[in-house]
Amino acid sequence: MYVWEFAALKPYWGLIGQGLLVTLFYTVTTVVAGLLIGLVVGILRTTAPRWVSVPLRLYIEVFRCTPLLVQLVWMYYALPVLIGVDMSPAMACFVALSLYAGSFYAEIFRGGIEAVDTGQWEAGRAIGMRRGKIFRRIVLPQATQVMIPSFINQTIMQLKNTSLVSVVAVGDLLYQGSVITATSYKPLEVYTIVAVLYFVVLFPLTLVADQIETRMGAHR
Amino acid sequence: MSANGATLVANNIHKAFGDHEVLKGVSLSVQRGEVVTLIGASGSGKSTFLRCLNLLEMPQQGELAIGAHRFAFGKGPRAPKDAQLAQLRENVGMVFQHFNLFPHMSVLANVTEGPRQVKGMARTEADALGRDLLAKVGLADKADAFPSRLSGGQKQRVAIARALAMKPEVMLFDEPTSALDPELVGEVLSVIRNLAAEGMTMVLVTHEMTFAADVSTRVGFMNGGIMAEIGTPEETIRQPRSERLKAFLSRFHETH
Repeated sequence: MYVWEFAALKPYWGLIGQGLLVTLFYTVTTVVAGLLIGLVVGILRTTAPRWVSVPLRLYIEVFRCTPLLVQLVWMYYALPVLIGVDMSPAMACFVALSLYAGSFYAEIFRGGIEAVDTGQWEAGRAIGMRRGKIFRRIVLPQATQVMIPSFINQTIMQLKNTSLVSVVAVGDLLYQGSVITATSYKPLEVYTIVAVLYFVVLFPLTLVADQIETRMGAHR
Repeated sequence: MSANGATLVANNIHKAFGDHEVLKGVSLSVQRGEVVTLIGASGSGKSTFLRCLNLLEMPQQGELAIGAHRFAFGKGPRAPKDAQLAQLRENVGMVFQHFNLFPHMSVLANVTEGPRQVKGMARTEADALGRDLLAKVGLADKADAFPSRLSGGQKQRVAIARALAMKPEVMLFDEPTSALDPELVGEVLSVIRNLAAEGMTMVLVTHEMTFAADVSTRVGFMNGGIMAEIGTPEETIRQPRSERLKAFLSRFHETH
C-alpha cells in the first residue's frame, strides 16, 4: 500500500500557486481573445460574401481538425521561421490557444445566430430598425441564450487545454507539477494535487452551467 | 403616379423568385382611410404583394409610393438604400401570420422597442404610449409578461400594438389569424375592426371572407400573380364576375 506524503510538497506550494495562476491567466486571456475572434468570424460567416466566408471556413476547419498540441508546437517552432520573427513560448501559446478557441467559438456563434428565426429579422425591419440594431438588440441576445451551454463547455475545455502549454516550457500548473516532480520525486502526490486543482476550479463552473441551463429552460 | 391623392400607390409590381414569376405586374391604389383586403388561393401572390408594400420583398420592376416615400424598381433605378427602406417601414406597420414577437423582451418592451430605438423616444414617453396601446388592444394587464406566457390571440394583439406604436400611415396584415386556434380569431378581428372604424388605412391578406366582406372598402382577388378582380365587397364577394373567383369563393363556402 502506497503511503501518501503530501507534507513533502510543502516547500512547493508557492510554485503550484504560481502555476495555477498562469493556467488561469491563459484561460481568461485566450477565452476573451477567442470570443472576440469567434464573434467576428461567426458574424462574417453568416453575412459576408463568399470571398470572405470561404477563407474563414478554411481557418475554422484547419484549427478544428488539427490537434491543439500540434498547433502549439507548430506556432512555436515553425511559424517564427516562416515569418522571420522570434516568438516567445508565451506568445506562441497565446496565439495558438486564442485561434483554436476562436475557431470553436465562431461555429458556436454562427450556429446560434442562424438558429434565430428569420421572422425576428423581419419584425425588426418592419418597425424601421436597421440591420446593425436588429442584430444587436433582437438577434444576438436570442442567439446568446441558445449558445450559453456550448460556450461554457468550450470554456471548460479551454482551461483544460491550457495544460498543453507545458510542452513548450510555459510555467502553467502542469509544467510546475513536472518541475516539482523532478526535484521532489513525489509524482503521485504532485500529479494528484494538480488534478485536484483543475477539478476544484472547473467543477463549480459546470454547476453554474447547469443552473443557467435550467433557468433558461424555465423561460420557454 | 399618385395624382389622385392616394396614400399608397403600387404600380405594375413584378417579382420573381428564381425562374418562378410570383407577381406579374400588380397595381393597387389605396385612399386614406381605406381598408383593402386581398383574397386568393395560396400561391396566388397575395402575401408576396403585401410584403412588397413595405419592401420586405424587393420588386424587380414597378413603382411604389407611400406618403412621401417613392421608389422605382428595375434595371435603371438604383436599389433603395438601407436608410430609405427603414424610413418607409417607419410609416408602414406590418402584422405577421406568426406574430414574430421578440421573445426575450416583455410585452411592453416589444411595443416600445420601435419608438425608443428607431424614433429615439424617451423611456417614460414610450412606456406611456405603449401602455395606452396595450389598453387599446385589451392587454393592459399583460405589460410586464413575456410573450411565451400569452395565447396566440394575445400575441397577435401585442404585435398589432407594436406596429401601431410607430404611428404608421398604413397598416399591413399578412394572414393575421391564420395561425390562431378558431376560438381566438374573434379577439384579433375585433381589434382590426376597431382600427378600421378609427379610419386607419389598411391592406389585409386574409381567408376570413365574412370579415373581409364586412370590414373592407374594397376586396381584391389575386390569381396567378395578377389582380384578377377588385371592387367593393358587394361586387367582388357577392357578385363575382370571373369563373375563377366564383370557383374560389364556392370552395370557401364548402369548407367554412
